[in-house]
Amino acid sequence: MGACLGLAIAAHVAALPPWLTALVAASIAMRLFLAARGRAAPGRPVKLGIAAASIAILFLQLRTFNGLSAGTALLSLVAGLKFLETHTRRDLYAVALIIYFLCLSALLRSDSFWLLLYLLGVAWLSAAALLRLALWTPLHGWPLDLRYVGRISAQALPVAAVLWLFFPRFDAPLWQLPSERGNAQTGLSDTMSPGDIVDLALSDEIAFRVRFTGPLPPADERYWRGPVLHDTDGHSWRNVGPPAGSARTLIAEGPAYNYTLSLEPHAFNWLFALDWPDKWSVPDGRLNADDTLVQSEPVSRPLDVSAQSHTHVATQEPLSATARRRDTQLPSNRNPRAIALSAELRRSHPDDLELAQTVLELFHREEFFYTLSPPPLGENSVDDFLFDTRRGFCGHYASAFATLMRAAGIPARIVTGYHGGTYNPYAGYWIVRQSNAHAWDEIWIAGRGWVRVDPTAAIAPARVEAGLDSTLAAEPLGLGIRARVPWITDLRLRLDALGQLWRQRFLNFNQVAQLSLIERLGIAEPDAQKIVLVMAAGLMLAFAWLVWQLRREERAEPRDPAVVAYRRLCRRLAAIGLARRPHEGAEGYAARVGQARPDLAAAVAALCASYSRLRYAQPSPEHGADLDALVARTRAFRPRRRAPDSGQAGASEP
Amino acid sequence: MKKRLQDLRRASGRRLRAWNARRHGADSLPLTINRRRIYIVPTRFGLALAALLAAMIVAALNYNSNLALAFAFFMASLALVAMHHCHRNLSGLSVDVNLESDAFAGADTVFHFMLRNESSLERSGLEVSLEGEKPARATASVPPHSDERLALEVPIARRGVQRWDHVQVRTMHPFGWFRAWTYVHTSLTAFAAPRPEGNRPLPSAAGSGHAPLGETHGEEEFAGLRPYAPGVALKHMAWKVLARGGEPAVRVYTDLGALPEWLEWSALEGVEIEARLSQLCRWILTCESRSARPYGLRLPGIEIAPGRGPTHRIRCLRALAQQPGVA
Repeated sequence: MGACLGLAIAAHVAALPPWLTALVAASIAMRLFLAARGRAAPGRPVKLGIAAASIAILFLQLRTFNGLSAGTALLSLVAGLKFLETHTRRDLYAVALIIYFLCLSALLRSDSFWLLLYLLGVAWLSAAALLRLALWTPLHGWPLDLRYVGRISAQALPVAAVLWLFFPRFDAPLWQLPSERGNAQTGLSDTMSPGDIVDLALSDEIAFRVRFTGPLPPADERYWRGPVLHDTDGHSWRNVGPPAGSARTLIAEGPAYNYTLSLEPHAFNWLFALDWPDKWSVPDGRLNADDTLVQSEPVSRPLDVSAQSHTHVATQEPLSATARRRDTQLPSNRNPRAIALSAELRRSHPDDLELAQTVLELFHREEFFYTLSPPPLGENSVDDFLFDTRRGFCGHYASAFATLMRAAGIPARIVTGYHGGTYNPYAGYWIVRQSNAHAWDEIWIAGRGWVRVDPTAAIAPARVEAGLDSTLAAEPLGLGIRARVPWITDLRLRLDALGQLWRQRFLNFNQVAQLSLIERLGIAEPDAQKIVLVMAAGLMLAFAWLVWQLRREERAEPRDPAVVAYRRLCRRLAAIGLARRPHEGAEGYAARVGQARPDLAAAVAALCASYSRLRYAQPSPEHGADLDALVARTRAFRPRRRAPDSGQAGASEP
Repeated sequence: MKKRLQDLRRASGRRLRAWNARRHGADSLPLTINRRRIYIVPTRFGLALAALLAAMIVAALNYNSNLALAFAFFMASLALVAMHHCHRNLSGLSVDVNLESDAFAGADTVFHFMLRNESSLERSGLEVSLEGEKPARATASVPPHSDERLALEVPIARRGVQRWDHVQVRTMHPFGWFRAWTYVHTSLTAFAAPRPEGNRPLPSAAGSGHAPLGETHGEEEFAGLRPYAPGVALKHMAWKVLARGGEPAVRVYTDLGALPEWLEWSALEGVEIEARLSQLCRWILTCESRSARPYGLRLPGIEIAPGRGPTHRIRCLRALAQQPGVA
């Protein structure tokens, strides 16, 4: 039991304060040690002292006992200390209940298939411990008990499956879940300094997966839109909140693309739709004034979004004066050389688009390099980048470009999000990792609306100094190796495909999925009521199967054919009123039958003797032949109810 | 509060038993426990588990966590299956027991149960119990296709005849979440003979018996042979006769012969009832173990003809047990 508790708490180790884990481990070890030595648990004052002290420390550390993690910590502590004072079966029962609760609370905040397997294993082990506990003296060793519990579990699976599949789910939570922020999550944030994205670029974590249904947009149009940054201090850019109002009406041009995003949780409410989203499945999703698809709450759990986007749009609406002011704002005391360059370019290029084109050409023509390890920049970071270092990545180019545009009076903003992705051929979806994080610009062109410009794409390919993969390859450990060895990449893709399947089929199973499942079972117009009916029917089936299974186990014949044959003999004799008495052995039974029915005496005595020999004597070479003979003769043995002539029957009566 | 709860439980147990007895009548042994007479309820541990499971399911639904829900439903199904296993552990078991047993007051009496398992399942954690001042219970497991003897030791405090009208067979197998039980309605009787006490000499030794023994004690006269009958002490066998090829015979002495020893209630006039019975008990044991003489017992309203051997001894002891005490 102690081991089970340890294993259950182990599932929480990451979330618990280390001292607590150590304390619980120590108390379990101590109890087992004392029990092995045959000594009693420590005295009451000791235990109370330890308990009070550790609960006080826990409170000081967490400041609350409310919420899942604090509750779990407290419960782990109590369970560990409880184990210190287990005397009776009842104490161990309490520990078992705590184990189950710990298992559940570990699962509440996890999505891992392995954790579920692990905790089912813990439950299995603790059930075996209970089995041994319920017997007054354990009969078998652990292996047999574990096998028995395994059999019970296997019988429980169909019922569990029916319940899981058809039990009605809540549409909305009964009570508001305490949000558990503060777990550092990687991902885009609402501010960006030129050097920021490099951390993300080195991160292998998955931002989301996307599966296209229908046509796939060309590679250079796969921009996944995140937060839009408007406000700059000359160095970093931030999103102080999108401008008030709703999105402009976008007029779609070109084909529509349909896809399903499977978002990993992150700290914000952006949904990273493909530029520019048009329809989406999230009930409270909306386009904000920056044309970014958002929902009202942060994406705290894995979320699936089906959406439709057009990669080319236009708008006829003018830019409002406030928006124009905001998107042309630049701090006057920063980056003087960039502002001067912009003014100079403006003189020769009055047209906005032409000016943008010129800047891109500048990036292409001049000695600009793409690198993930750029030199540090000074106070006037855009100046330093444009005129001195000329080395950077998307963040540097996007902010330099936006600065140049704004200096020329063209409304410009930086869009952050993701670009590209890795295709998983085994399951037909794209994996977009944090390393695909990207920043690009949008400039306002009258009559067309916001136009996407990606200055990073303008760099001459020859000057892409360190592409993503080569940067990773330079890493001494881990990532680099993975990226280089093809079969490992391959394996990872396959595993990812499996994980995705798990997520779609299992984790995201909801009422909608239930309804479609029922529809597939051939039930028209499924609704919640029909789900319950199907559940009832399924449970009945599962129980019928269970009962059938149990009966079958009960009736199983013994393995030894000799026993089967002997039982047959006994049955046939019982049918003529000569049932074997429970205490009778084969010889005694044969003797009694012989007395009652002398006509059968010889046959029964021979059969019984043969049975005793086969069953209890040392196996002889003729064992097989004897066995066959016994089986054949008991089959042929059909005693009649009355002895052939009444004279003999009379003779048996004294 | 706790006491009231216990009273309530006991009363409901009584009522259930009475109903059960009306329904099935007295059982003939060996009794094969069928499904209809097995009762099953969750234990306190099981109820706690049920509450926890309900909380787990609500929490999992609320967190919309399919993973936690799967775990909670798995545990719930495990409990349901465990219920079936618990019930099945009794169903089809056959129970037999000796209906009468003997003991001396202050010691244990033993009922020998025979649990017979015809199925191919192991039946583990069976508990047989008798209610009473001191409830007695014994546990056993029966492997598939076999029998298991189970000795239920019941402490007996006082002389007398103690009866039980039912035996409870129960199990908490497999996980202690459920308790299944059944009543076997059969009348068990324990005859508790008095504690053998008292150091008065045997009536014959005291010279107050029917046998004129006094002077011949120690120097018996050989009186002849009589044919052998079972129950004779080996030292009285006429071995020489047997060696010569004759029929087995017993040497008969004048003082040991056909004259029986009478153990009489009236011989102990003036002694308190229980002490009287204790003394008679001691004499019976002495007669049985020491001499080859048959002995008889005379109690108020009952006379047991002289005899010897285990059956006779038990008859006498039971007669002592059945004597009414101080009213």
